[in-house]
Amino acid sequence: MSSAEETDEQEIAEKSDEGPGLLLWLTAAGGIGMLAAVFIFVPTERTEGIVQRIMYFHVPCAWVAFFAFFIVFICSILFLWRREREWDIYAHASAEVGMLFCSLVLITGPIWAKPIWGIWWTWDPRLTLTLVLWLIYAAYLMLRLQTGEGSTRAKYSAIIGIVGALDIPLIHFSVLWWGSQHPSPKIITSEGIGTGIDNSMGITLLVSLGAFTLIYFLLVSLRVNIEKMKDEIDRLKKQRLYSH
Amino acid sequence: MNSYLGQIKAILWKDFLTEYKTRELFSSMFVFAVLVILIFIFSVDLSLVNSNEVGPGVLWVAVIFAGTLGLNRSFTLEKEDSGLQGLLLAPIDRSAIYFGKMLSNLVFFLIMEAFILPVFMVFFNIDLLANLGPLLFVLLIGTLGFSILGTLLSSLSSNLKTREIMLPLLLYPLMVPIAIGAVRLTSHVLGGGELGDMMNWVGMILCFDVIFLAVSIMTIDHILEE
Repeated sequence: MSSAEETDEQEIAEKSDEGPGLLLWLTAAGGIGMLAAVFIFVPTERTEGIVQRIMYFHVPCAWVAFFAFFIVFICSILFLWRREREWDIYAHASAEVGMLFCSLVLITGPIWAKPIWGIWWTWDPRLTLTLVLWLIYAAYLMLRLQTGEGSTRAKYSAIIGIVGALDIPLIHFSVLWWGSQHPSPKIITSEGIGTGIDNSMGITLLVSLGAFTLIYFLLVSLRVNIEKMKDEIDRLKKQRLYSH
Repeated sequence: MNSYLGQIKAILWKDFLTEYKTRELFSSMFVFAVLVILIFIFSVDLSLVNSNEVGPGVLWVAVIFAGTLGLNRSFTLEKEDSGLQGLLLAPIDRSAIYFGKMLSNLVFFLIMEAFILPVFMVFFNIDLLANLGPLLFVLLIGTLGFSILGTLLSSLSSNLKTREIMLPLLLYPLMVPIAIGAVRLTSHVLGGGELGDMMNWVGMILCFDVIFLAVSIMTIDHILEE
């Protein structure tokens, strides 16, 4: 191996170490800050008691899931428009991470609902919407598994990514008119931002939203790196196949 | 424009002719729909529940399940003996192929519904004739949405290895707005209600139809290319 190639590889290795490095430290700091805020800083809520602290996990998970699916939508459009592998990778990574957080919402929701509402599950609009979203993106990821590598898979999943995201508002209205037990919006109310809940709770929620968003970016960047590495291995394999 | 309509009509005619000669799709869809209704009648006790409340749901489940059979057949049929390749080689716009297939699916579904409705009326003891006009309108806009999205996804899933499995997995969660809206409207209409009272549902279903028709036209080029 020539020395030029070696320095190249070193540079690549250094670059990939640097990228997630900073994000990793930020996420770790955010995570510690969030845990401190949730378990030490914020006082226990009067009526619901200790179980209310799950809100600082439940709400950010829901936010990240919706954000992730929105990113899938944007990347799917960009893929169909520009036809660059890059966007397909981002859409794929974001869908997988979104799926993870969507599952967490569906798990933390019943844990919170049982002691407060007295039931595990109710056909409340937001619960139904989250469940339908989970099903749509489960099908999206299955489609990715079913189709072989290449542009066909990228195109098909981009179409489902777009159709799925455009369906979200329609599903939202249909399940809303269908029958709500969820607390009405507390943070952004008609009286302005942040009047519905106590300051310490608001701050804690914001900290955990930030921390979860950082976790999202960290996981997506790791997933993107894995996918790019796969591409690189395929490329090198092909190169080797034809070099002899 | 005239030739574009002619192209759509040719594809529509081709599907009718195939169906007329083979008669395999329509009979299986109809018998399957009757079976679905029958199984639902066994699973709910009609003497206990108000058939006006359960009926519309059963009707739409039957339409959607039986329709899925038709959708699965719609593009696999073209895959056999490279029929789709012939269509793609023809000097026509890809959206014309989509429109032709979508309209032929829609007409098959509507004919199937025309045959299911009397069966439904007899089994559930619901008088459909009193509110036939609004009922047909609801069936039309709901079935239109089903065939618009169904044809797009059926063209997509026909290229997959496990097409019969993937089509319902992809289609059903996306069909939620139609499923809820159409059932609500049907039960409202069968109860003698005015369509005007539930314009929000009608508007939503029409929105669904328009949005996904536009998406299908824009994305069909990406699916139908070899």
